[in-house]
Amino acid sequence: MERIEKAITSLQRMQGSGPESGLHPLCLFVITVAYLVAMLSVPVSAFTMLLWFALYPVVMAALTGLDFTRIFTGSLIALPFALLIGLFNPIYQTRTALRVGSLAISEGWISYLSIILRSMLSVQALLVLVSGKGFTGLCRSLESVGMPRLLSTQLLMVYRYLTVLLQEAVDMTRARRARGYGRRHLSMKMWGAFCGQLFLRTVARAEAVNRAMLARGFDGRMPRYQPVRQRWTLRDTLTLGASLACFALLRFVDISRIFTHLL
Amino acid sequence: MSHHYIQFTDVHYAYPNGYEALRGITFRVTHGEKVALLGMNGAGKSTVLLHTNGLLLPSKGEVNVGGIPVTKKTAPGVRRAVGMLFQNPDDQLFMPTVEEDVAFGPLNMGLEMAEVQRRVREALARTGAGGLEKRSPFQLSGGQKKSVAMATILSMEPEILVMDEPTAELDLAARNKVIDIISRYTHTCLIATHDLDLACGLCPRSILIDGGKVVADGPTEEVIARLKEMI
Repeated sequence: MERIEKAITSLQRMQGSGPESGLHPLCLFVITVAYLVAMLSVPVSAFTMLLWFALYPVVMAALTGLDFTRIFTGSLIALPFALLIGLFNPIYQTRTALRVGSLAISEGWISYLSIILRSMLSVQALLVLVSGKGFTGLCRSLESVGMPRLLSTQLLMVYRYLTVLLQEAVDMTRARRARGYGRRHLSMKMWGAFCGQLFLRTVARAEAVNRAMLARGFDGRMPRYQPVRQRWTLRDTLTLGASLACFALLRFVDISRIFTHLL
Repeated sequence: MSHHYIQFTDVHYAYPNGYEALRGITFRVTHGEKVALLGMNGAGKSTVLLHTNGLLLPSKGEVNVGGIPVTKKTAPGVRRAVGMLFQNPDDQLFMPTVEEDVAFGPLNMGLEMAEVQRRVREALARTGAGGLEKRSPFQLSGGQKKSVAMATILSMEPEILVMDEPTAELDLAARNKVIDIISRYTHTCLIATHDLDLACGLCPRSILIDGGKVVADGPTEEVIARLKEMI
């Protein structure tokens, strides 16, 4: 149950506006997309080029006042999937890619590590984006780059529904434990009933929330409360320009090789 | 809307599962009146309230608010005039921050941002929730949630206030705050409650509902006496 409560806290943390990074949401969004494109397009064999991209989440977390440890911990969620995806690469790709002393490292291991790193960096970049501007901010950014408002409203609704779902799950788990007399796990049959009840309860809650929204004039569009309108500033332009230049440099120039030559 | 009255005329309502919640409800709450809606659990009080702003529409009969019959077409307009406080504040609060939640109604009314800001500030101050603007509604205590839920309604400056158990699950201090807000509200007010002290203190008139029908309507003391007889 603690895990569900932690999930609710994480969701709520992401829901707000997050720490004020000062950057325009659209700026942060474009930077993130550019980063993902640049990072994911690095050739699998160029592992050293990929390593430089790992600096981005650290730098952005520092610039936007986020806790990188939390970002890193959050990105571990992608690890099991990444581990599974590349599991057979070391077995099938056995050609030696490089040697460290007497140790031969195969192409399979390089591509495996590359997949893991790319997955984690992608999640970290998205977490920086969402934590920096909040889920609402993210949806607003998507709207400003042309995503239909209906779709962003849907996203916000799904997000709200997730919170409702988890809250109801906590309540039901508490009720079960109170009458479970120490039995820790549910049988398969009880799981079925539990999930069914959870669905019914969340639908009832969602209907109640919808009524409350209608009672306050909801017409299918989420209104935007922005007492101080955040404008695109010179800082945004400079940050965007510098970021794009950095990503281009990291993508097309093997900085590690230059350093090696210099040393 | 010239007169802030609520008129129910022979209103029937059955839920989709076939349960007949209202069976010919008729009453009128006139301009500026504070009326308590009393009754046992499942009597139909909440169903009545949901009819006042078109969240439910009668299967037979008519609900009229300020001279406008409540229909699917007129419901959005009626909702601008009727502010509804739900029993469970968790259902009422759905935006990321308190100030966004309080601003939700005024923004939907198409007000200017400066006016929305003024209303948000004033509503939060009136309900004693000033200082909670940037907090997430989910992280508030029960009393704070109720205060913010109240602010979400007051920010719309409704002509009619409809409340479902406004003092349920509140401690004494929070309850007194809610009572204070209602007592200072000068427009029409319809309150569904089990809190008989609140009904006695605030509402000169009460309506008693049982089995989806009005069984008593008159001075609160008399209606409460009737309710006690029923128990």
